[in-house]
Amino acid sequence: MKLKKAQFLSENMETIARRDRILLNNPVIMQGMGLAPLVVAATTGRSALILSVAVLLLLTPTRMLAALAARPVPYRFRAVVYCVLAAVLYAGVYILMRNWFEVEQTLAVGMYLPLLCVEPLIIKRYERPRKEPVLVALQKGLYITGGYILILMLMGCLRELLATGTLFGRAVSGVHLLPVASLPAGGFILVGVLCAIWRGAVRAYKNYVHREANRTV
Amino acid sequence: MTAVLNALASFFLLAVTAVFAQNAVFSRALGVSRLVRLVGDTAVSNRTFGLLLGVILLISSPLAWLCSQAMAGWEYRRAVRPLLFILCATLAYLLVMYLIQWLHAPHAKELVAVLPLATFNTAVLGPLLIADTQSFTLPQTLGFSIGSAVGYMLAVAIVAEGQRKLQSESVPAPFRGLPITLIYIGILALAIYGFTGHMVSI
Repeated sequence: MKLKKAQFLSENMETIARRDRILLNNPVIMQGMGLAPLVVAATTGRSALILSVAVLLLLTPTRMLAALAARPVPYRFRAVVYCVLAAVLYAGVYILMRNWFEVEQTLAVGMYLPLLCVEPLIIKRYERPRKEPVLVALQKGLYITGGYILILMLMGCLRELLATGTLFGRAVSGVHLLPVASLPAGGFILVGVLCAIWRGAVRAYKNYVHREANRTV
Repeated sequence: MTAVLNALASFFLLAVTAVFAQNAVFSRALGVSRLVRLVGDTAVSNRTFGLLLGVILLISSPLAWLCSQAMAGWEYRRAVRPLLFILCATLAYLLVMYLIQWLHAPHAKELVAVLPLATFNTAVLGPLLIADTQSFTLPQTLGFSIGSAVGYMLAVAIVAEGQRKLQSESVPAPFRGLPITLIYIGILALAIYGFTGHMVSI
Protein backbone atom coordinates (compact mmCIF):
# COMPACT_ATOMS: atom_id res chain seq x y z
CA MET A 1 0.00 0.00 0.00
CA LYS A 2 1.31 3.48 -0.90
CA LEU A 3 2.43 5.75 1.95
CA LYS A 4 0.00 8.61 1.27
CA LYS A 5 -2.97 6.30 0.91
CA ALA A 6 -2.06 4.37 4.06
CA GLN A 7 -1.67 7.58 6.08
CA PHE A 8 -4.92 9.02 4.77
CA LEU A 9 -6.81 5.80 5.53
CA SER A 10 -5.19 5.47 8.96
CA GLU A 11 -6.03 9.06 9.96
CA ASN A 12 -9.62 8.89 8.70
CA MET A 13 -10.37 5.22 9.42
CA GLU A 14 -13.14 5.88 11.95
CA THR A 15 -15.01 8.29 9.64
CA ILE A 16 -14.55 6.04 6.60
CA ALA A 17 -15.67 2.97 8.55
CA ARG A 18 -18.73 4.76 9.94
CA ARG A 19 -19.88 5.85 6.46
CA ASP A 20 -19.17 2.57 4.66
CA ARG A 21 -22.40 0.59 5.05
CA ILE A 22 -21.31 -2.17 2.70
CA LEU A 23 -18.03 -3.62 3.99
CA LEU A 24 -16.59 -1.89 7.06
CA ASN A 25 -19.86 -1.01 8.82
CA ASN A 26 -22.39 -3.40 7.28
CA PRO A 27 -25.75 -3.00 9.09
CA VAL A 28 -26.19 -6.76 9.53
CA ILE A 29 -22.64 -7.63 10.54
CA MET A 30 -21.95 -4.71 12.88
CA GLN A 31 -25.41 -3.80 14.23
CA GLY A 32 -27.44 -6.99 13.82
CA MET A 33 -30.20 -5.30 11.78
CA GLY A 34 -32.52 -7.11 9.37
CA LEU A 35 -31.95 -10.50 11.00
CA ALA A 36 -35.49 -11.94 10.86
CA PRO A 37 -35.81 -12.23 7.04
CA LEU A 38 -32.16 -13.23 6.74
CA VAL A 39 -32.36 -16.05 9.28
CA VAL A 40 -35.75 -17.54 8.40
CA ALA A 41 -36.74 -16.62 4.84
CA ALA A 42 -33.44 -16.32 2.93
CA THR A 43 -32.98 -20.09 2.60
CA THR A 44 -32.40 -20.15 -1.18
CA GLY A 45 -30.91 -17.84 -3.77
CA ARG A 46 -34.38 -17.20 -5.21
CA SER A 47 -35.92 -16.27 -1.83
CA ALA A 48 -32.96 -13.98 -1.15
CA LEU A 49 -33.50 -12.35 -4.55
CA ILE A 50 -37.20 -11.70 -3.82
CA LEU A 51 -36.33 -10.16 -0.45
CA SER A 52 -33.56 -8.10 -2.08
CA VAL A 53 -35.97 -6.64 -4.66
CA ALA A 54 -38.45 -5.78 -1.88
CA VAL A 55 -35.73 -4.10 0.21
CA LEU A 56 -34.49 -2.21 -2.86
CA LEU A 57 -37.98 -0.85 -3.54
CA LEU A 58 -38.85 -0.12 0.10
CA LEU A 59 -35.83 1.06 2.04
CA THR A 60 -34.59 4.19 0.27
CA PRO A 61 -38.05 5.56 -0.75
CA THR A 62 -39.34 5.06 2.83
CA ARG A 63 -36.34 6.80 4.30
CA MET A 64 -36.60 9.74 1.88
CA LEU A 65 -40.37 10.18 2.26
CA ALA A 66 -40.08 9.86 6.05
CA ALA A 67 -37.27 12.44 6.11
CA LEU A 68 -39.70 14.86 4.42
CA ALA A 69 -42.91 13.91 6.24
CA ALA A 70 -41.41 13.62 9.74
CA ARG A 71 -40.17 17.24 9.78
CA PRO A 72 -43.21 18.83 11.47
CA VAL A 73 -44.01 15.71 13.54
CA PRO A 74 -43.06 15.59 17.27
CA TYR A 75 -40.36 13.05 18.16
CA ARG A 76 -42.71 10.59 19.90
CA PHE A 77 -44.83 10.15 16.76
CA ARG A 78 -41.97 9.79 14.31
CA ALA A 79 -41.98 5.98 14.54
CA VAL A 80 -45.62 6.03 13.37
CA VAL A 81 -44.68 8.13 10.32
CA TYR A 82 -41.85 5.75 9.31
CA CYS A 83 -43.96 2.57 9.73
CA VAL A 84 -47.11 3.91 8.06
CA LEU A 85 -45.12 5.24 5.09
CA ALA A 86 -43.31 1.89 4.74
CA ALA A 87 -46.66 0.07 4.84
CA VAL A 88 -48.23 2.40 2.25
CA LEU A 89 -45.26 1.86 -0.07
CA TYR A 90 -45.41 -1.89 0.65
CA ALA A 91 -48.92 -2.09 -0.89
CA GLY A 92 -47.50 -0.88 -4.22
CA VAL A 93 -44.35 -3.00 -3.91
CA TYR A 94 -46.43 -6.13 -3.23
CA ILE A 95 -48.59 -5.59 -6.34
CA LEU A 96 -45.46 -5.00 -8.45
CA MET A 97 -43.77 -8.11 -7.09
CA ARG A 98 -46.87 -10.21 -7.69
CA ASN A 99 -46.55 -9.28 -11.37
CA TRP A 100 -42.82 -9.92 -11.53
CA PHE A 101 -42.54 -13.19 -9.58
CA GLU A 102 -44.66 -16.33 -9.44
CA VAL A 103 -47.15 -16.56 -6.54
CA GLU A 104 -45.38 -19.64 -5.07
CA GLN A 105 -42.08 -17.78 -5.01
CA THR A 106 -43.47 -14.79 -3.13
CA LEU A 107 -45.30 -17.14 -0.75
CA ALA A 108 -41.97 -18.88 0.00
CA VAL A 109 -40.80 -15.80 1.91
CA GLY A 110 -44.16 -15.75 3.73
CA MET A 111 -44.76 -12.99 6.23
CA TYR A 112 -41.14 -11.80 6.00
CA LEU A 113 -42.11 -9.60 3.06
CA PRO A 114 -44.76 -7.55 4.99
CA LEU A 115 -42.55 -7.67 8.10
CA LEU A 116 -40.06 -5.44 6.27
CA CYS A 117 -42.41 -2.52 7.10
CA VAL A 118 -41.32 -2.62 10.76
CA GLU A 119 -37.82 -4.01 10.24
CA PRO A 120 -35.26 -1.86 12.14
CA LEU A 121 -33.16 -1.79 8.97
CA ILE A 122 -35.85 0.38 7.33
CA ILE A 123 -37.32 2.36 10.22
CA LYS A 124 -34.49 2.62 12.75
CA ARG A 125 -33.65 6.22 11.77
CA TYR A 126 -36.68 7.46 13.76
CA GLU A 127 -34.80 6.70 17.01
CA ARG A 128 -32.33 9.51 16.39
CA PRO A 129 -33.62 12.92 17.54
CA ARG A 130 -31.81 14.87 14.76
CA LYS A 131 -33.91 15.21 11.61
CA GLU A 132 -32.39 13.80 8.45
CA PRO A 133 -31.97 15.87 5.23
CA VAL A 134 -33.57 14.18 2.19
CA LEU A 135 -30.31 13.91 0.22
CA VAL A 136 -28.56 12.27 3.17
CA ALA A 137 -31.52 9.88 3.45
CA LEU A 138 -31.12 9.00 -0.24
CA GLN A 139 -27.38 8.42 0.07
CA LYS A 140 -27.55 6.38 3.29
CA GLY A 141 -30.61 4.47 2.08
CA LEU A 142 -28.77 3.35 -1.05
CA TYR A 143 -25.65 2.33 0.89
CA ILE A 144 -27.63 0.38 3.50
CA THR A 145 -29.66 -1.30 0.72
CA GLY A 146 -26.41 -2.35 -0.99
CA GLY A 147 -24.94 -3.73 2.24
CA TYR A 148 -28.07 -5.66 3.13
CA ILE A 149 -28.56 -7.11 -0.36
CA LEU A 150 -24.93 -8.28 -0.36
CA ILE A 151 -25.47 -10.26 2.87
CA LEU A 152 -28.93 -11.50 1.78
CA MET A 153 -27.63 -12.93 -1.51
CA LEU A 154 -24.52 -14.36 0.12
CA MET A 155 -26.52 -16.11 2.84
CA GLY A 156 -29.29 -17.27 0.48
CA CYS A 157 -26.85 -18.88 -1.97
CA LEU A 158 -24.66 -20.34 0.79
CA ARG A 159 -27.62 -21.88 2.64
CA GLU A 160 -29.09 -23.35 -0.54
CA LEU A 161 -25.72 -24.80 -1.50
CA LEU A 162 -25.09 -26.30 1.95
CA ALA A 163 -28.62 -27.62 2.48
CA THR A 164 -29.52 -29.00 -0.94
CA GLY A 165 -26.38 -28.79 -3.11
CA THR A 166 -28.15 -26.49 -5.59
CA LEU A 167 -27.88 -22.85 -6.61
CA PHE A 168 -31.02 -21.03 -7.85
CA GLY A 169 -32.61 -24.48 -8.19
CA ARG A 170 -29.86 -25.95 -10.38
CA ALA A 171 -27.79 -28.90 -9.14
CA VAL A 172 -24.20 -27.93 -8.30
CA SER A 173 -22.70 -30.58 -6.05
CA GLY A 174 -25.43 -33.13 -5.38
CA VAL A 175 -24.15 -33.37 -1.78
CA HIS A 176 -26.32 -32.23 1.14
CA LEU A 177 -23.47 -30.97 3.32
CA LEU A 178 -25.51 -29.27 6.05
CA PRO A 179 -29.30 -29.86 5.84
CA VAL A 180 -29.86 -27.76 9.00
CA ALA A 181 -28.74 -24.69 7.01
CA SER A 182 -32.28 -24.39 5.61
CA LEU A 183 -33.80 -24.15 9.11
CA PRO A 184 -33.88 -20.98 11.26
CA ALA A 185 -31.42 -22.59 13.71
CA GLY A 186 -28.94 -23.12 10.87
CA GLY A 187 -29.61 -19.55 9.74
CA PHE A 188 -28.72 -18.16 13.19
CA ILE A 189 -25.53 -20.24 13.36
CA LEU A 190 -24.39 -19.40 9.82
CA VAL A 191 -25.09 -15.66 10.25
CA GLY A 192 -23.17 -15.81 13.55
CA VAL A 193 -20.17 -17.50 11.88
CA LEU A 194 -20.31 -15.07 8.92
CA CYS A 195 -20.40 -12.10 11.38
CA ALA A 196 -17.32 -13.45 13.20
CA ILE A 197 -15.35 -13.99 9.97
CA TRP A 198 -16.39 -10.60 8.57
CA ARG A 199 -15.59 -8.73 11.78
CA GLY A 200 -12.23 -10.53 12.01
CA ALA A 201 -11.44 -9.49 8.41
CA VAL A 202 -12.43 -5.85 9.10
CA ARG A 203 -10.21 -5.81 12.20
CA ALA A 204 -7.30 -7.36 10.25
CA TYR A 205 -7.74 -4.76 7.46
CA LYS A 206 -7.73 -1.86 9.97
CA ASN A 207 -4.61 -3.24 11.69
CA TYR A 208 -2.91 -3.65 8.29
CA VAL A 209 -3.67 -0.02 7.33
CA HIS A 210 -2.38 1.35 10.66
CA ARG A 211 0.73 -0.86 10.44
CA GLU A 212 1.47 0.30 6.89
CA ALA A 213 1.01 3.96 7.86
CA ASN A 214 3.35 3.63 10.85
CA ARG A 215 5.94 1.43 9.11
CA THR A 216 6.66 3.90 6.34
CA VAL A 217 6.82 7.02 8.54
CA MET B 1 -71.13 -23.84 28.04
CA THR B 2 -69.33 -26.18 25.63
CA ALA B 3 -68.59 -23.24 23.32
CA VAL B 4 -67.00 -21.30 26.22
CA LEU B 5 -64.91 -24.32 27.22
CA ASN B 6 -63.80 -24.85 23.62
CA ALA B 7 -62.84 -21.19 23.31
CA LEU B 8 -60.85 -21.37 26.57
CA ALA B 9 -59.16 -24.60 25.46
CA SER B 10 -58.10 -23.12 22.10
CA PHE B 11 -56.94 -19.92 23.89
CA PHE B 12 -54.64 -21.86 26.25
CA LEU B 13 -53.47 -24.31 23.56
CA LEU B 14 -52.37 -21.49 21.25
CA ALA B 15 -50.84 -19.55 24.16
CA VAL B 16 -48.69 -22.53 25.24
CA THR B 17 -47.75 -23.28 21.62
CA ALA B 18 -46.63 -19.68 21.12
CA VAL B 19 -44.51 -19.74 24.30
CA PHE B 20 -42.65 -22.98 23.58
CA ALA B 21 -43.13 -24.88 20.30
CA GLN B 22 -43.58 -21.75 18.15
CA ASN B 23 -41.53 -19.33 20.20
CA ALA B 24 -41.39 -15.99 18.37
CA VAL B 25 -37.59 -15.74 18.65
CA PHE B 26 -36.35 -19.32 18.37
CA SER B 27 -38.68 -20.60 15.65
CA ARG B 28 -39.41 -17.46 13.60
CA ALA B 29 -36.65 -14.99 14.62
CA LEU B 30 -39.30 -12.32 15.33
CA GLY B 31 -37.91 -9.28 17.13
CA VAL B 32 -34.42 -10.78 17.15
CA SER B 33 -32.71 -7.62 15.85
CA ARG B 34 -34.20 -5.77 18.84
CA LEU B 35 -33.35 -8.64 21.21
CA VAL B 36 -29.63 -8.68 20.41
CA ARG B 37 -29.47 -4.96 21.18
CA LEU B 38 -31.73 -5.22 24.22
CA VAL B 39 -29.59 -7.79 26.06
CA GLY B 40 -26.54 -5.54 25.86
CA ASP B 41 -28.40 -2.31 26.65
CA THR B 42 -28.43 -1.35 30.32
CA ALA B 43 -30.62 1.73 29.68
CA VAL B 44 -33.68 -0.35 28.74
CA SER B 45 -35.05 -2.86 31.23
CA ASN B 46 -35.89 -6.26 29.67
CA ARG B 47 -38.94 -6.57 31.93
CA THR B 48 -40.32 -3.14 30.98
CA PHE B 49 -39.82 -3.84 27.28
CA GLY B 50 -41.51 -7.27 27.51
CA LEU B 51 -44.41 -5.90 29.54
CA LEU B 52 -45.09 -3.07 27.08
CA LEU B 53 -44.83 -5.51 24.14
CA GLY B 54 -47.42 -7.74 25.83
CA VAL B 55 -49.84 -4.86 26.46
CA ILE B 56 -49.51 -3.62 22.86
CA LEU B 57 -50.16 -7.13 21.51
CA LEU B 58 -53.11 -7.60 23.87
CA ILE B 59 -54.79 -4.39 22.65
CA SER B 60 -53.88 -4.62 18.95
CA SER B 61 -54.66 -8.31 18.34
CA PRO B 62 -58.49 -8.06 18.67
CA LEU B 63 -58.43 -4.94 16.46
CA ALA B 64 -56.32 -6.80 13.88
CA TRP B 65 -58.72 -9.75 14.06
CA LEU B 66 -61.62 -7.42 13.27
CA CYS B 67 -59.68 -6.03 10.29
CA SER B 68 -58.99 -9.60 9.09
CA GLN B 69 -62.70 -10.41 9.23
CA ALA B 70 -63.58 -7.22 7.36
CA MET B 71 -61.00 -7.96 4.63
CA ALA B 72 -61.95 -11.64 4.15
CA GLY B 73 -62.13 -12.54 0.47
CA TRP B 74 -60.82 -9.17 -0.76
CA GLU B 75 -58.31 -9.46 -3.61
CA TYR B 76 -55.79 -6.94 -2.28
CA ARG B 77 -55.89 -7.96 1.38
CA ARG B 78 -52.29 -9.22 1.35
CA ALA B 79 -51.13 -5.85 0.04
CA VAL B 80 -52.92 -3.69 2.63
CA ARG B 81 -52.89 -5.88 5.74
CA PRO B 82 -49.49 -4.59 7.03
CA LEU B 83 -50.87 -1.03 6.85
CA LEU B 84 -54.06 -1.96 8.71
CA PHE B 85 -52.18 -3.96 11.35
CA ILE B 86 -49.68 -1.14 11.85
CA LEU B 87 -52.63 1.24 12.32
CA CYS B 88 -54.04 -1.18 14.95
CA ALA B 89 -50.64 -1.17 16.71
CA THR B 90 -50.59 2.65 16.46
CA LEU B 91 -53.99 2.85 18.19
CA ALA B 92 -52.66 0.60 20.96
CA TYR B 93 -49.52 2.78 21.12
CA LEU B 94 -51.54 5.99 21.55
CA LEU B 95 -53.82 4.40 24.14
CA VAL B 96 -50.92 3.07 26.24
CA MET B 97 -49.00 6.34 25.95
CA TYR B 98 -51.94 8.44 27.13
CA LEU B 99 -52.73 5.93 29.91
CA ILE B 100 -49.14 6.15 31.18
CA GLN B 101 -49.30 9.94 31.22
CA TRP B 102 -52.85 10.15 32.61
CA LEU B 103 -52.13 7.72 35.46
CA HIS B 104 -48.81 9.49 36.23
CA ALA B 105 -47.21 6.04 36.25
CA PRO B 106 -43.88 5.76 38.05
CA HIS B 107 -40.95 6.04 35.58
CA ALA B 108 -43.43 7.44 33.00
CA LYS B 109 -40.61 9.09 31.04
CA GLU B 110 -38.72 5.81 30.70
CA LEU B 111 -41.88 3.93 29.71
CA VAL B 112 -42.80 6.47 27.01
CA ALA B 113 -39.24 6.33 25.64
CA VAL B 114 -39.33 2.51 25.35
CA LEU B 115 -42.90 2.37 24.00
CA PRO B 116 -42.10 2.96 20.26
CA LEU B 117 -39.41 0.25 20.38
CA ALA B 118 -41.90 -2.19 21.90
CA THR B 119 -44.69 -1.27 19.47
CA PHE B 120 -43.12 -0.96 16.02
CA ASN B 121 -41.37 -4.25 16.10
CA THR B 122 -41.46 -7.53 14.15
CA ALA B 123 -42.44 -9.26 17.43
CA VAL B 124 -45.75 -7.31 17.32
CA LEU B 125 -46.58 -7.36 13.59
CA GLY B 126 -45.44 -11.01 13.25
CA PRO B 127 -48.08 -12.62 15.54
CA LEU B 128 -50.80 -10.43 13.95
CA LEU B 129 -49.79 -11.63 10.47
CA ILE B 130 -49.60 -15.28 11.61
CA ALA B 131 -53.08 -15.06 13.19
CA ASP B 132 -54.43 -13.64 9.92
CA THR B 133 -52.63 -16.15 7.65
CA GLN B 134 -53.76 -19.12 9.75
CA SER B 135 -57.35 -17.77 10.10
CA PHE B 136 -57.37 -17.94 13.90
CA THR B 137 -60.59 -17.30 15.81
CA LEU B 138 -60.69 -14.41 18.31
CA PRO B 139 -59.76 -16.58 21.36
CA GLN B 140 -56.97 -18.23 19.34
CA THR B 141 -55.68 -14.81 18.20
CA LEU B 142 -55.66 -13.53 21.79
CA GLY B 143 -54.02 -16.72 23.09
CA PHE B 144 -51.35 -16.66 20.38
CA SER B 145 -50.61 -12.96 20.94
CA ILE B 146 -50.26 -13.29 24.71
CA GLY B 147 -48.22 -16.47 24.29
CA SER B 148 -45.94 -14.72 21.77
CA ALA B 149 -45.29 -11.87 24.22
CA VAL B 150 -44.55 -14.31 27.07
CA GLY B 151 -42.36 -16.39 24.72
CA TYR B 152 -40.46 -13.26 23.69
CA MET B 153 -39.85 -12.29 27.34
CA LEU B 154 -38.69 -15.85 28.05
CA ALA B 155 -36.28 -15.73 25.09
CA VAL B 156 -34.91 -12.35 26.25
CA ALA B 157 -34.39 -13.75 29.77
CA ILE B 158 -32.61 -16.89 28.46
CA VAL B 159 -30.36 -14.93 26.09
CA ALA B 160 -29.60 -12.29 28.77
CA GLU B 161 -28.68 -15.06 31.22
CA GLY B 162 -26.45 -16.67 28.59
CA GLN B 163 -24.59 -13.37 28.09
CA ARG B 164 -22.78 -13.85 31.40
CA LYS B 165 -21.06 -16.99 30.07
CA LEU B 166 -20.69 -15.63 26.54
CA GLN B 167 -18.61 -12.69 27.77
CA SER B 168 -15.91 -15.14 28.88
CA GLU B 169 -12.30 -14.52 27.83
CA SER B 170 -12.20 -18.03 26.37
CA VAL B 171 -14.51 -16.96 23.54
CA PRO B 172 -12.27 -16.00 20.52
CA ALA B 173 -12.21 -12.21 19.98
CA PRO B 174 -14.01 -12.12 16.56
CA PHE B 175 -16.87 -14.19 17.99
CA ARG B 176 -17.51 -11.95 21.02
CA GLY B 177 -20.72 -9.90 21.09
CA LEU B 178 -23.23 -10.33 18.26
CA PRO B 179 -21.69 -13.45 16.55
CA ILE B 180 -21.61 -15.65 19.65
CA THR B 181 -25.09 -14.42 20.70
CA LEU B 182 -26.50 -15.51 17.31
CA ILE B 183 -24.78 -18.91 17.50
CA TYR B 184 -26.15 -19.33 21.05
CA ILE B 185 -29.70 -18.50 19.85
CA GLY B 186 -29.21 -20.98 16.99
CA ILE B 187 -28.25 -23.78 19.38
CA LEU B 188 -31.27 -22.97 21.59
CA ALA B 189 -33.47 -23.05 18.45
CA LEU B 190 -32.08 -26.52 17.66
CA ALA B 191 -33.16 -27.62 21.14
CA ILE B 192 -36.69 -26.33 20.39
CA TYR B 193 -36.77 -28.57 17.27
CA GLY B 194 -36.29 -31.48 19.69
CA PHE B 195 -39.82 -30.69 20.96
CA THR B 196 -41.54 -29.67 17.72
CA GLY B 197 -39.70 -32.01 15.32
CA HIS B 198 -40.55 -29.88 12.30
CA MET B 199 -40.22 -26.40 10.84
CA VAL B 200 -43.10 -24.01 11.54
CA SER B 201 -44.96 -22.37 8.67
CA ILE B 202 -43.96 -18.80 7.83
